[in-house]
Amino acid sequence: MTVVERLTGNIYQIEILPVENTDYKSLSKARYFFDWKEERKAEVYKLVMKGQQDILGLVSIERIPSEWRIHIRLLSVSKENSGKGKVFENIAGNLIAFVAKIAVVEFGALACVSLRPKSSIVQHYMKKYDMNITGMTLSLEVPEIINLINKYDHD
Amino acid sequence: MTMTKNKKSTQVHSEYGVDSRYKTKKERELDSFALMQARLERMKNLPREEILRAKLLQLKLKMENYLKEPVYDKQNHFAHFLEMYVDALYLRRIEFAKDINVTPIFLSQVINSHREPSEEFILKLMIHSEKVFKNVGEFHKKIWYQIYFHEKLCNTMSNQDKWRPDIEKQVRHIEFASLTKK
Repeated sequence: MTVVERLTGNIYQIEILPVENTDYKSLSKARYFFDWKEERKAEVYKLVMKGQQDILGLVSIERIPSEWRIHIRLLSVSKENSGKGKVFENIAGNLIAFVAKIAVVEFGALACVSLRPKSSIVQHYMKKYDMNITGMTLSLEVPEIINLINKYDHD
Repeated sequence: MTMTKNKKSTQVHSEYGVDSRYKTKKERELDSFALMQARLERMKNLPREEILRAKLLQLKLKMENYLKEPVYDKQNHFAHFLEMYVDALYLRRIEFAKDINVTPIFLSQVINSHREPSEEFILKLMIHSEKVFKNVGEFHKKIWYQIYFHEKLCNTMSNQDKWRPDIEKQVRHIEFASLTKK
């Protein structure tokens, strides 16, 4: 998986790892938009550049095996990677693709990833990640989930 | 003017993230129910090829995960992944045996861990899956070899108590101190 530096077009390899207890100290609301300490009991992952410590994005998930689904509870990129002046592209995409991979490993053809963004950004997510909509919930299933994984899961 | 403002605000919001935690149990239940109904409806129209693509991608990701760290257990992983691969693609294993020009007995013995896969068998498997995975996604052709040797290595290291006593008796070495004197 990789991110692209917007200004130079340089491509950097990334890895997505479980958040450790010691990471929470550095996860301020100012930089990561939400109070990530509230997610301590959830399954939380961080996106970092290979071999580096700085966290560029975060996702917390809930596995719902009875529905063959993984629900994205919280997802955010770091402040400098949001908005027009962002440094790196593809952070959110990689995090969603990572969750999609877990779902496919767990549930195969029945795999589903869901999330509920604010109504103002629903269209953005549907368009960018080819998501389906049901009420307020967006979801990725086969075949779109496979296409998303193939789009982001390469070195 | 209003449209531009809305568009700008959408772009800013979409960039930082999503909070989709359920606030109440009821909200969650309603969401689950509606989503499941919609998914079941979509699944009805899902072509068989897409189901197959998903099964093969699942296999590929499981193989990649297996290679990430040492696994010490009694399962024959190569045989297990081979079984998943063949059963995803073929209704009868004999058809796969024909396609890669091995006897059904040989294939059955490998799948059931009664014999080791030959090098030729792994090469055939490599070529077969290389072609099949063209419709699924990126597939490293070396992966079957990696699985085979990863498993060998893990088994060897975890079974040292069984093979080491006998093998160690057969191995002599020069003392390090005498080497440095020379």
